[in-house]
Amino acid sequence: MEKSIETIWKEGFLNSDALVAPKLNDLYNQKSIHIIDKFKRMFRVNLNAIVVGSLLFLGVSFFIGIPIMGVGFFLVSSVIVIVNKRLSNGLESIDKNVSSYQYIKAFNHWMKEQLSVNRKMAGFYYPLFFLSMILGFWFSSFDGKLLGEALVNKLILSYPDTYLLFGVPLIGILGVILGVCLLAFFGGRIYNWDVSLIYGRVFKKLEEIIADMEALRS
Amino acid sequence: MSSDFYTASILPYAAIIIKICRAYTNTQEDFEDYYQEVCLQIWKSRDNFCEQSQWSTWVYRLSLNVCLTLLKKKKNSHQYFASDSLPEEAIEDSHAFADESLNQLYDAIRQLSEVDRGVILLYLEEKSYQQIADIIGTNPNNVGVRIKRIKERLKKLLHGKVN
Repeated sequence: MEKSIETIWKEGFLNSDALVAPKLNDLYNQKSIHIIDKFKRMFRVNLNAIVVGSLLFLGVSFFIGIPIMGVGFFLVSSVIVIVNKRLSNGLESIDKNVSSYQYIKAFNHWMKEQLSVNRKMAGFYYPLFFLSMILGFWFSSFDGKLLGEALVNKLILSYPDTYLLFGVPLIGILGVILGVCLLAFFGGRIYNWDVSLIYGRVFKKLEEIIADMEALRS
Repeated sequence: MSSDFYTASILPYAAIIIKICRAYTNTQEDFEDYYQEVCLQIWKSRDNFCEQSQWSTWVYRLSLNVCLTLLKKKKNSHQYFASDSLPEEAIEDSHAFADESLNQLYDAIRQLSEVDRGVILLYLEEKSYQQIADIIGTNPNNVGVRIKRIKERLKKLLHGKVN
């Protein structure tokens, strides 16, 4: 006779072995490994994107006549990549044989250090990017002349009283200095915003895991 | 999570959690992950428990929701199988119980849609239509019709396997 599903269910669970609860161990192991692996992957992709992007831009900059900008971007990007590559070596040295909590705390410590280094660097590299851009355009050719010179000539025609310093309008120099100072001052904040756009969700998840783990330990 | 909380508030309902988690997983490894996650979410959400409902009903609801969420996450990461196209190895891997008929019933349940799995589990646990409706978030009439259809589907899936 065919058993009903209700009978199969009842009889099947009469055997007490069917309902043995698994031990609650290694809690969060998978979560922490997953989140850290995700971060490592994103970090690697990000560095590769910077390398590829700066190389491409270097080539394009020669092609479109703004080589100084291309070289500047490439040099600054290379420094960022080299520093971050060195920082990422520290990530590999985190001991995976410790508990999930210790592992994720070590990772969090590494990340904070990495963010701090990059934040400080941002105060330099954003102004350098800006300078590369200005110099790139200034020394690009326009109608057989340098774009900077052409602009100065045009400016002098319209405003003959313009004060020049080494052939560059003082107002322009002051503007660039102001831009550099602003970027140096706000570089860290721009970096924070930039990082939160890319890694924001991962960081949030990481904070949640740490908070949960700390609650579990209490 | 304190072991006191686990022993007093989760362990007595472990059977419920195990039965639900088994229906949403194909391997022992996944089952253990789901079980752990459900326990953790019960512990984390314990302050949200409303005295108006029974603790067991609340555990059911939460377990189902956690399993559905995990299943969705897995599907999104393309690691899970479509519910109506379980590959052979997944079925082979799901011999979790000593009772072969029960294994076959679980294999059939796993081929149902996610919600239908929840409904039939609650029905098999002898929950009333009203309780099922409360847990799933529908009305009791719909539950009755749904259960009838699910049972027919399960019979078809089991046909020839269970004597």
